[in-house]
Amino acid sequence: MIKALGYFLEIIRGSIITTRHFVVNMHFHFMKLFRIKTKRKGAVTIQYPEEKREIATRHRSLHRLMTNKDGKPRCVACMLCVTVCPSECIYVEAAEDPDLEVQKYPSTFIIDLSRCCFCGFCVEACPEDAIRMDTGQIEFAEYSREDLIYNLEKLIG
Amino acid sequence: MIKIFIDEKAIEVEKSTTILKAAEQAGIDIPHLCYHPAFPPEGTCRMCLVEIEGLPSLELACSTQVKDGMKVSTKSERVIEARKGVLEFLLAEHPPDCPICDKAGECSLQDYYEEYGQFENQFNEFKEKREKKVKIGKNLIRDMERCILCRRCVRFLKEVTKTQELGVFERGIHSEINILDGVLVDNNYSGNLAEICPVGAMTDSDFRFKTRTWFLKKGESICPLCSRGCSIFIEYHEGFSRFTLPKRVYRIRSRENHKVNGFWICDIGRYGYSYIDENRIDKIIVNNKEGGETITWEKMVILLAEKIKRLYYIKKTSRIALILNTWLSNEELFLINKIFRNDLSVENIYFTDPPEGEEDDLLLTSERSPNKRGAREIGLDLKPINLETLADKTDLLLIFGSFMFDQFNLAEIKSALDNIKMKIIFATHSNEMNSLVDIVLPMSLIAEKEGSLTNVDGIVQRFSPVLMAQGECQPEWKVLVNLAKELEINFRYYSQFSSPEAILDEMGKKISFFEKKSE
Amino acid sequence: MSETIIILIKVVCALVWFLLITLYLTWVERKESAVIQDRIGANRASILGIRIIGLFQPFADAIKMIFKEDFTPRFSRRFLHNLAPFISFFFVAITISAIPFGDVLRIGGQEIKLQVMDINVGLLFVLAMLSLGIYGIILSGWSSNNRYALIGGMRGAAQLISYEVALGLSLIGLIMVYPSLNLSTIVHYQGELLFGWLPKWGVFLQPLGLLIFFFAALAETKRIPFDLPEGENEIVGFFTEYSGLKWGLFMMTDFMEVLIVSTLLTTLFFGGWQVPWLAADGFHFPWGSEWLLPHGIVVIFQVAAFNIKVFFFCWLQILIRWTYPRFRYDQVMDLGWKLLIPLSLANIVATAILLSI
Repeated sequence: MIKALGYFLEIIRGSIITTRHFVVNMHFHFMKLFRIKTKRKGAVTIQYPEEKREIATRHRSLHRLMTNKDGKPRCVACMLCVTVCPSECIYVEAAEDPDLEVQKYPSTFIIDLSRCCFCGFCVEACPEDAIRMDTGQIEFAEYSREDLIYNLEKLIG
Repeated sequence: MIKIFIDEKAIEVEKSTTILKAAEQAGIDIPHLCYHPAFPPEGTCRMCLVEIEGLPSLELACSTQVKDGMKVSTKSERVIEARKGVLEFLLAEHPPDCPICDKAGECSLQDYYEEYGQFENQFNEFKEKREKKVKIGKNLIRDMERCILCRRCVRFLKEVTKTQELGVFERGIHSEINILDGVLVDNNYSGNLAEICPVGAMTDSDFRFKTRTWFLKKGESICPLCSRGCSIFIEYHEGFSRFTLPKRVYRIRSRENHKVNGFWICDIGRYGYSYIDENRIDKIIVNNKEGGETITWEKMVILLAEKIKRLYYIKKTSRIALILNTWLSNEELFLINKIFRNDLSVENIYFTDPPEGEEDDLLLTSERSPNKRGAREIGLDLKPINLETLADKTDLLLIFGSFMFDQFNLAEIKSALDNIKMKIIFATHSNEMNSLVDIVLPMSLIAEKEGSLTNVDGIVQRFSPVLMAQGECQPEWKVLVNLAKELEINFRYYSQFSSPEAILDEMGKKISFFEKKSE
Repeated sequence: MSETIIILIKVVCALVWFLLITLYLTWVERKESAVIQDRIGANRASILGIRIIGLFQPFADAIKMIFKEDFTPRFSRRFLHNLAPFISFFFVAITISAIPFGDVLRIGGQEIKLQVMDINVGLLFVLAMLSLGIYGIILSGWSSNNRYALIGGMRGAAQLISYEVALGLSLIGLIMVYPSLNLSTIVHYQGELLFGWLPKWGVFLQPLGLLIFFFAALAETKRIPFDLPEGENEIVGFFTEYSGLKWGLFMMTDFMEVLIVSTLLTTLFFGGWQVPWLAADGFHFPWGSEWLLPHGIVVIFQVAAFNIKVFFFCWLQILIRWTYPRFRYDQVMDLGWKLLIPLSLANIVATAILLSI
């Protein structure tokens, strides 16, 4: 009997909690409706496309290829990123550069973002600091898989 | 035999071996850069220093001969310290451009540096700039910054090819490997220079920047481009799961085989690998049927067998002709001999082969096909084709390979083949020949199948598949065994041939030449 | 003639009210749950970029449901499969006709009862119609050719029949207090005063009956914590094989039941359209003062009171749905048979004793 009573009390306590949430949040919502400034908002969620959360500096976002001062990619096509990539989403073709100091440059550099798992290994492996994942761009959804295959121009630009 | 101790391990070696070779026999690895087993030791790199008990200084393992009771230690602190020092000096002028160096991944210097390296730079000076990219040979590019002056290349040209195009010029820090008066290294073995270079100083322009060495898989095979049959490694890229590569084979390297080719292979074999990936066919093509109807191998073999059986029952097997080539393996030639000459008593067996080329006194032979000796030993005589008699006497023509082009032009072949009712080609590549015949059957190459070849010296070498057969490609021996089974002339005999090995065993029983010669 | 027109207008008004509130209950449910959980809730549906806190959401849902594929599983009893949601829907929707929205409205000498049909056995009618809704559940489960749906349907039938008993018994005390089965008569009785100041509402006369009725009615709506027939998220229920508009009908039925339960609670226990101390000519407060009002204002007060009460109970039911986890099936059965039914019997006895004194 006592157990049943306790159970009943817990049920009431539960509904008090939800009611409190409802009342408090509605209070803030109404405050907002009447343009009165409050300490906090009625909801902890944000309205994503309109409001955006700040991306942490260490966040791994869309890749970009760094360029030298002359605008050529810093990449020397050593293919260490290709080697280390766990999802095999990078494809590099090397070519001969007339500049003897550079010698090797990537004629094609493709990242297939539909496979990429954003582990950041390519960034860590790169000996030339040529690839970075610091664009802060996280919205690159596309309608077709083909559009997710990023080539050299797209990665530099 | 004398007894020595290396790292407290007792080893019995022959007199006058060097410590390095003795350690190699014992399975102890002593780092070395300039030493190459093909040449006498030179001792320029100083990597192989070892400590010998009783001697005040460290000695070179590559050039010091063993003495009875000698106690060598290869892992003592002094030795390790010495290796570090040697590496530090070697790398004092060696650029850290491994990312763009083709040798990276198979570079001895890189490996040793990882193992023993002095990782902190103690030099205040900058590294000296030298010529980075100089063409010094047909397919050779030299990078003077990376050179550690081990002189392997110089010794190779002096002792193996005896052409001596390269030498060490200048002295001290200015020394460099160079050619004299701009005369390029242009002999048939220059490709070996890039292979024996322990660092990336000599790179192969054919392989340069194509891929990285660690992506490549190695497969043992035999070079089919001349009758020497050199042992080779086919180095191929399996491709990535997402991106298909334009080709599979990226380079050919030599495989040590002292019975045939020693350490080297010629440039014809080294650079002539493009046939493996270019222009291949991988589907059965039936020409006179409209609409490109597909046909399976099983149906194809039955169809072929019925054609032959029909001729056989009306005793007209003399109307069958075969054009063979000596790119076929021993087993395949044996099967053809057995099925067509012995069982069906076909007499019109001709051979077409690539035209003979130059030969040199090292490895390259004039016969540009791998198995002429094998064909002769099996008992086939290498009759050349007579197009006119061929056209008159034949109803069914089986062509293996398309080397006819090397002897006749297209018009001649076309007029001859037009008179023949049924022409079938066992082809590996797509070319104009395929449009002249009725059926084109895709075949595997030597790199993709199993079998054996007899080289010019009569050495029978077995090979196994390195690459996967593409599409519908099948090896000839398999097609021939299936055909023989389908002919039902001697079904039980042919059903024992489940692999080329079984055929070779049978050959050993039948032909004395092949007895216990398989290798 | 004019009688017929008046009845037609009443029917249309009641249906529109009923369906519109049901439609917006879906939106209220989403919004209320969001507010309880510190979220914002559905606010994306827009017409030409105008959102108005997501008020168009029900229409968007309806459009989506209409255009979804109407899938009938193979080997199902096609006719019954199609019929089931309509049975469910119909028997719930028809109950609204017995509910009084207000007292009489006098326009041009005509007295119009604000009730679609004033039948003597209104209470029995409502209970009977609610019971018939079980057919929809069983038919949908059985005709789907899906054993999970069938078992879900059986669970539903067992649960509903069990709680039907408690639901009926809990009202007997009420009928003893207000000796009538006519809903409008019951509401009229509740306009009287107890001890001169307390309205004679069911909640004061039959508190235990209210609790039992509320629990049983919650179970009748088949919503969490009593959603064993459906078990949308894990246990797979009777309308698993439904999609599109037919699924939508089942969903609508759920919300309609919420609304019907609220109207019943209001009508039976909270005075229906009665406002405390409001008589036909105005307020007569217990401390003696009076506030006389014209007839039209009184009717508006009554209808508004009814609506506010109904909305409050809708809100309460949604709050309960978003607060508690689901019962286990044996707990449901225990609660029904071992607690609610004995309690309701005790309630009858206690009421009888009190009345006889």
